[in-house]
Amino acid sequence: MTSRPPTLREKRRYVLVRIDPAGIVPDAKELYYAVNDAVASLWGDAAAARVHAAVVAAEGEFAVVRCRRGTERELAIALITVTSCNGERIALRTLATSGTIESLKELIGSHQENIPATPLQSEEYTVDGRTVVVSHCSGQKVDVIEKGFKNATRFFLTTEDLEDI
Amino acid sequence: MKITDACVHPRPSGDSSVRRMALEAHELGFDSLIAIDTPACEYGGVEVFSGVEIPLAPTQQEVTSTVKHSRETGAFVLVQAGDNGRNRMVLGMRGVHVLAGIHDTDRYAFDHVTAKMAADNGVAIDISLAPLISEREVPRQRVLDRYYDLMLLYRRFEFPLVISSHARSVLEMRSVREFSALASVIGLDIPDVEKALAYTGGIQSPHSPVRVIQ
Repeated sequence: MTSRPPTLREKRRYVLVRIDPAGIVPDAKELYYAVNDAVASLWGDAAAARVHAAVVAAEGEFAVVRCRRGTERELAIALITVTSCNGERIALRTLATSGTIESLKELIGSHQENIPATPLQSEEYTVDGRTVVVSHCSGQKVDVIEKGFKNATRFFLTTEDLEDI
Repeated sequence: MKITDACVHPRPSGDSSVRRMALEAHELGFDSLIAIDTPACEYGGVEVFSGVEIPLAPTQQEVTSTVKHSRETGAFVLVQAGDNGRNRMVLGMRGVHVLAGIHDTDRYAFDHVTAKMAADNGVAIDISLAPLISEREVPRQRVLDRYYDLMLLYRRFEFPLVISSHARSVLEMRSVREFSALASVIGLDIPDVEKALAYTGGIQSPHSPVRVIQ
């Protein structure tokens, strides 16, 4: 099979997204299903085919989603409506759009350098009568998770909230 | 001009503290929040206004007494929309700031008469983005249908609008740009979105013209 000449290939755009909450790293295939479901649900099958969304790269809490050039708006709006992936509650925060995956990977590198590494506290706290432990800490933001349960409740607090508890 | 998310539900009704929501709101481009059942405060450069949400169940007397109490405390009052009669009653009440939950009502609940009342009395109509984000298929189509109808009345009567995330978690909060993008789906253009996002900030710190009193 011969590949098409560049002038006959369709132009694509790549959207860089950050996956919230921190520490959740969904499988690229599951994320692909979640994104496609969101696009088809909001815009319909015909538009979903036109957008042709696909998750082409996933590095930690970042992912690169592909679409056809000219359909970035439809993809970006659909990404806002992604609320879960494989049963985990997530939110996708669109960071940048580019014509190449490489430039977005450079951006991922610069974002990862900017994330301050805060050591996790091993203390236990009680929130709403549940014993929780710190699962992620970044600056003033602290995510705590119910201790000892899979898919346990997650609370989003700050360092000041933990001092008040 | 303050860019405000007109309704969030921090802990205990949600899973995120009001401080965390304020931090997140700052990152997402907001200057202020209206947090339900939370005292007013300022955190991380975001002003948090106290809000009261009156659900559908209470009677007229209960609604009146809650609105009166909120007027004394300076809280922002959101009342859940119901049938046409209830909406007319709410829109005629002094101290009500926002009529929320129009997407949950039937087509006749908010008509040209209530639209004119909202415009005359300066009561804002809430566009909640939560059902657009979380619902799928027929329920979302119903919400879109209600919002398209609302936009028709908005173009004619120009009543105030507010846009809210009704987030119960930081994961449900969205950025100003995402608010704008989602609002474009129901036909709100950027100037309308800017006006809607700035409306609640204007109520909390009004700049009324100087009046000569004789």
